Amino acid sequence: MQQSPRGCGNLTSNTLKAVLTAVFLTALGACSSQVTVNAPTIPDPLVEKIPISVAVKFPDEFEHFVHQENVIGKEKWTIDLGRSNTLLFTKLFEAMFDEFTVVDDSVDPRDLPIDAWIEPSIDAFEFSVPSQSQTPSFAVWIRYRIKIFDSEGNQFANWPISAYGKSLSTAMGGDNALRRAAVLAMRDAAALIIMQMDRATGISSLNRETLSSIAASPEPAMPEPALPEGAPEESQTTAAEDTTDETG
Amino acid sequence: MKRVKPMSDQIDRLGKLLLVILPCIVVSACTTARVEDVRVTATGILDGEGVVIMARSYHLGNETEDKFIKCVGAALARGASALRVVPNSEFVDALFPWFEPRTAPSDTKGLPDLMARPGVAETIARKGVRYVIWLDGDTERVAGGGSLSCAAGPGGGGCFGFAWWTKDSKYDAAVWDLTALQSAGTVSTDVSGTSYLPAIVIPIPLIARTRAKACKGLADQLKSFIVTDEFA
Repeated sequence: MQQSPRGCGNLTSNTLKAVLTAVFLTALGACSSQVTVNAPTIPDPLVEKIPISVAVKFPDEFEHFVHQENVIGKEKWTIDLGRSNTLLFTKLFEAMFDEFTVVDDSVDPRDLPIDAWIEPSIDAFEFSVPSQSQTPSFAVWIRYRIKIFDSEGNQFANWPISAYGKSLSTAMGGDNALRRAAVLAMRDAAALIIMQMDRATGISSLNRETLSSIAASPEPAMPEPALPEGAPEESQTTAAEDTTDETG
Repeated sequence: MKRVKPMSDQIDRLGKLLLVILPCIVVSACTTARVEDVRVTATGILDGEGVVIMARSYHLGNETEDKFIKCVGAALARGASALRVVPNSEFVDALFPWFEPRTAPSDTKGLPDLMARPGVAETIARKGVRYVIWLDGDTERVAGGGSLSCAAGPGGGGCFGFAWWTKDSKYDAAVWDLTALQSAGTVSTDVSGTSYLPAIVIPIPLIARTRAKACKGLADQLKSFIVTDEFA
């Protein structure tokens, strides 16, 4: 019996369908996701400014922070925070301090007429996806570290903060949920910094006018003149590297 | 030569099958609902005053879905006795950082301190927010069973089997009066229902929409809870 060309065509077509299906399923099993966080919405904070002038040096990682992770047996996630950390901290510190400038690596902050300078950094970035947590949520943890130096360049405080954001996955896929979780974690960090920075580090005590008036005072010098009344002991403990508590 | 049945015959047969199955199962796919409130103080709302709906913090383990918050907001804003609902994100952004998940007050004891912070009372007044409604709770699948299998091939595909699951939507709404700086009371709802998915070639989902019913029940009760004559 002679096989008709039409029958042969059907066979080829079926084989092609099967191959395409197999390729599609394989691709699904080994897919990767790339999430880019553009400038997050950080509103103008309702906060009283701290009356000092500060400069901030952003590390390179703040300009283009990228985190990659393979979820075992599942997929590869790439989270690109881009410049969002720089934008976040710039907005934050502008709102928090009377005077604020961003300096680059070529500038020695000790040459500037400032009360303090700040060096934020990212210690760690972690996330979890629903397949890991067995919940319908994406979660992001960001551990920042804020180092504060006085106008002479001496380290005054070293404050680690942990921020957390969580977002339910949606029918539109995990990318949006993970992006939202990252933005919520950044907002969480901002809230924490606004609420606790001065209390935890005592940065307001670095005001040079206050310091000089204390120095010129005929009263006996206090053992810790840099700390105002009510300043927490954390500013001392945070100055000690890696022995701090977790306030976040 | 094999005779192929016309498509219209198949559709007729499927239609008859559905006519037999659907009424039986729709009756079974019902939900049970309970809505109740506890009033602490007199409520009421004046022209220009509004409400904002917030989710309890996920830092406290709350899992209330964004979808549910939007649903309650939309339900409060329409129909008889509609309330002016200030969008949640607009309120939270205007009061940043004092209503973030980490910083929002967990009870009314924190309200006086919050209102004393610079700009907070003025911003709330400008937004015209009289009540904050804090939602807590979620929808959970509490039981399920059955078996359903589907197969597909070059000639077509289909499913056969029967699956069912029960969901429980339990939500609480705590109403805070930002004028009196105290709790006005709580409204709670608990809706449970069983969904069915029979499949004879085509799966026919018969869903018990517990979350949607909880949303409607809670919103209706919140309206009657808040919209009372303040001077009665």
